[in-house]
Amino acid sequence: MEIEDPRPIPEPVVLPPPKTEPAWDRAAVAEMELALRVRKLDLWYGAKQALFGIDLDVPKNTVMSLIGPSGCGKSTLLRSLNRMNDLIDGVRIQGQVLLGDQDLYDPKVDVIELRKRMGMVFQKSNPFPKSIYENVAYGLRIHGVKDTRVLDETVERSLVGAGLWDEVKDRLKDSALGLSGGQQQRLCIARALAVKPEVILMDEPCSALDPIATGRVEELIFELKKDFTIVIVTHNMQQAARVSDFTGFFWLGKLIEVGLTKQLFTNPTQRTTEDYITGRFG
Amino acid sequence: MSVLMIVTLVVFIGAKGLGYFWPQAIVQFETAQGPVMGEISDREPAHENEPERLQLRVANRDLYGQDFRWFQADEVKNPKLVADAVLVERLEYGAFIGWIRAVQEDGKVIAEGPGALPGVEQRLPKAHSLRSRIHAIEKGEVGDLNASLEGIRLDRRRLKSAPDEAKGKALDAKELDLKARYQQVSERLDELRKESQRVTVILETVDGQRKEQSIGSLIRVLPVNSMSTLSKLKVYMSRLWEFVAEDPRESNTEGGIFPAIFGTVMMVLMMSLVVVPCGVVAALYLREYAKDGWLVRATRVAVNNLAGVPSIVFGVFGLGFFVYTLGGSIDQIFYSDRLPTPTYGTGSIIWASLTLALLTVPVVIVSTEEALASVPRNQREASLAMGATKWQTLWKIVLPGAAPGILTGLILAMARGAGEVAPLMLTGVVKLAPSMPLDGTFPFLHLDRKFMHLGFHIYDVGFQSPNSEAAKPMVFMTALLLLAVVVLLNFAAINLRRRLRARMGGSTF
Amino acid sequence: MTERHFDTELKCMKDGLMAMAIQVEEMIDLAIVVITKQSDAQAEQVVELDRIVDAQEVRLDCACIDLLGLRAPFATDLRFLAGCLKIIPQLERIGDHCKNIGRRGLILNRQAQVLNPDYFEKMGQAVCGMVCDSVEAFLKGDVDLANRVIKADDLVDELHHQIFGELLRQMIKDPLCIERASHLIIVNKDFERIADHATNICEEVLYILEGVNVKHPYLHQDPHD
Ligand SMILES: Nc1ncnc2c1ncn2[C@@H]1O[C@H](COP(=O)(O)OP(=O)(O)OP(=O)(O)O)[C@@H](O)[C@H]1O
Ligand SMILES: [Mg+2]
Repeated sequence: MEIEDPRPIPEPVVLPPPKTEPAWDRAAVAEMELALRVRKLDLWYGAKQALFGIDLDVPKNTVMSLIGPSGCGKSTLLRSLNRMNDLIDGVRIQGQVLLGDQDLYDPKVDVIELRKRMGMVFQKSNPFPKSIYENVAYGLRIHGVKDTRVLDETVERSLVGAGLWDEVKDRLKDSALGLSGGQQQRLCIARALAVKPEVILMDEPCSALDPIATGRVEELIFELKKDFTIVIVTHNMQQAARVSDFTGFFWLGKLIEVGLTKQLFTNPTQRTTEDYITGRFG
Repeated sequence: MSVLMIVTLVVFIGAKGLGYFWPQAIVQFETAQGPVMGEISDREPAHENEPERLQLRVANRDLYGQDFRWFQADEVKNPKLVADAVLVERLEYGAFIGWIRAVQEDGKVIAEGPGALPGVEQRLPKAHSLRSRIHAIEKGEVGDLNASLEGIRLDRRRLKSAPDEAKGKALDAKELDLKARYQQVSERLDELRKESQRVTVILETVDGQRKEQSIGSLIRVLPVNSMSTLSKLKVYMSRLWEFVAEDPRESNTEGGIFPAIFGTVMMVLMMSLVVVPCGVVAALYLREYAKDGWLVRATRVAVNNLAGVPSIVFGVFGLGFFVYTLGGSIDQIFYSDRLPTPTYGTGSIIWASLTLALLTVPVVIVSTEEALASVPRNQREASLAMGATKWQTLWKIVLPGAAPGILTGLILAMARGAGEVAPLMLTGVVKLAPSMPLDGTFPFLHLDRKFMHLGFHIYDVGFQSPNSEAAKPMVFMTALLLLAVVVLLNFAAINLRRRLRARMGGSTF
Repeated sequence: MTERHFDTELKCMKDGLMAMAIQVEEMIDLAIVVITKQSDAQAEQVVELDRIVDAQEVRLDCACIDLLGLRAPFATDLRFLAGCLKIIPQLERIGDHCKNIGRRGLILNRQAQVLNPDYFEKMGQAVCGMVCDSVEAFLKGDVDLANRVIKADDLVDELHHQIFGELLRQMIKDPLCIERASHLIIVNKDFERIADHATNICEEVLYILEGVNVKHPYLHQDPHD
């Protein structure tokens, strides 16, 4: 027997698609295009080995954060990604770092050209003692761009990209050192963006910033992910959890564990990782 | 503490020197030998059994043979200010103290007695303008003509080794033309000189000696005792200006010291021009490029030792290396036609500047190294990480960042260089340079010329002058000026540094 | 391994949960007595105890949220607190069911027994055992025990069916006892739900311990593994 229901049948509610990124699972990750591959990387400072057989894949347009206790080699790895370690005497490197298909440590590689493809943002904001405009234009100038129109456009695009345009557009000719710490750091990001790198390396970019400025930079990282691949070193695990898709945990020069940030922070597979992220490290 | 020392120094020197230009009262005394008149220039208080003594500047060196006389205080009586006594500053023989009795034109008296002084004052400006015209012609046209004639002489000598008819003829013609022009100019000069001789002044001293002098040789006539403070002040200022802006007279004991100021400034600037690039390049090499090894360490030791070598040794080196070896070779190669007259093979401003540059380069190297080291490492890294080459980083980031420090080095170098005299005496300074190293004659900058220097001027006036008593205030004034020049140069550099720093947004060193 | 202040706070949390679990276990014991022995005093006590459990729930909830907010924990700590946050309401629900049983007991006690009390004795002990074991698995971090509890749920389901069938039979036999039997059906259901909550607790325990979600195995989509 069927009972008549006098009420009209409601339309099914169509929910908007969720705003956050879809959850990657292992299978999806395996299919992602890789921006950067590190293979069996060993590094010595003189006789002291600082990195031990690092294997790391960074998929394109994702954020990879590197965490680990002080002195474990995060910065060292980061600096070997754009060959800044070349500047230090006595550094010896073995293994491969592949940017796309190119081995960075191939003797034929043009280091200058390579550093153009790898932007870097440092722990302490380090704008040049020049005007805001000149800071952003620096990268182009050293690569020989003279056309003022191109420079103007790039400066604006980079500053907009770094979320700084509205704050500084009326004072581009002022000294960059007059900006606040957070603004300076975003200026450094803009400076790195100006040369259109493929990968942006950030070494503790927020360690000297207040929560507001940190929040801005984190939002910025989220935006930048659309166009760039980002590797960020941070001591702030909340920050790593907030901004990154993948997280790598370093300990004593070894990459102990690397995986999806969600996984690593809720259920790490390694005991050391667990101890480190829960703060039980002794 | 150091500020106190500097202030004391300046005040002391200033007190000794600045008073010199103030018109002093003329006092007349009675003595056993008759009346004397002059400015009281010094007093010695009585001590033991010596009575108090006075020094009187009686002037009139041409008549008395000396400017100053000492009297015992009880020897002189009835001091009296004579209202119409005048102090006459002359081009030669120092000042005259006495009275103006008359003014003559072509031997005829045109003003006498009380009218004589106004008569002189009225004619003085014209005489001055006449004098400066003569001076201008002597310096300008005659100088140019002489230079051209010298050129022809050299061309002749060259022709001797490679005879050429046409050229020889052209030279002859040119020489004739020049000689004719020379003749004209000398005639004009003679005329002007005669003109300036026409008016003469009869001067009389307190003891009744008379002297006739052409008005052209007078600089100022000051009835000191009847002058107001304001007009004294005017005189003071004009004397001060004369001191700073005029050429010296009377073997440097009178007139101005402009050539010495100019020579000092120019020498220091030339030295800076040489020492900054050399020092900066050396420091850049040492700090940025050289691998640490025995060579770099040896260089560092050498640089540090160089700073401790006595400056006269540098003078000897400059003489031996720059003047004789380098200058001699230049003469051999480029100016062989002038030999045996040396061009660069003798002391000159360029060798003096180079010697001083050598003397001061350690200072610049050391402070540049410091400055380079103080450019934050992270800025270099930022630049390199952007893909800049090492050279681009140095040029665009490190050097601008180090500029204030480099300037500090320059300031120290200038302070040292401006004060050195000893090495200059061997390498190009003279007590009286006939012409300045920078003038209107082609090629305007004459690096081969000798020059005058304030420091040497002090030494010369103070110790080598025939009339050292009269020159004493000059010594102090010159010292004050030397100080002022050094301070001014330093201020210029400090100001530049301050502006650089401000442009970099207050980064501190 | 360093001793953290946070560890003390987590221990506190655990102690609080243990206290709550002990209350709840006592309530189950009382509920069994109410149904099997028809005891009014115990029934009133159960209803009374539920208020204490409710208060404990509120307190522990707050503490849990505080720790999450202030310590921003990661990994085991995060899973532990998240687990607690889910275990607390399970315990509270168990308390509610006991209270419901107590209320019905007050009605049933005035009438004759419908069913042999052995049935509910057996059912009650099984359920109580599950709850005790699940709490022990949580406190001791015992994965095996948790797994056993999850399995034991089947037994309780079995008993639930038996009692339900028995009651149906009674009602068919004697329509006069329908009212009482209906109450007992609900009591039976309450016991069965308590066992479900115990299972849920064990699933949370497994998540806390292993980081794997074992709920609803038929849903194969599992975001983490
Ligand atoms: N220039 C260098 N010369 C020699 N050893 C170095 C050099 N730089 C780093 N190291 C050593 O390498 C190891 C890794 O250093 P690194 O800077 O990569 O650490 P990190 O993980 O970045 O630490 P932090 O979090 O403090 O920045 C450390 O033990 C350090 O002492
Ligand atoms: Mg680091």
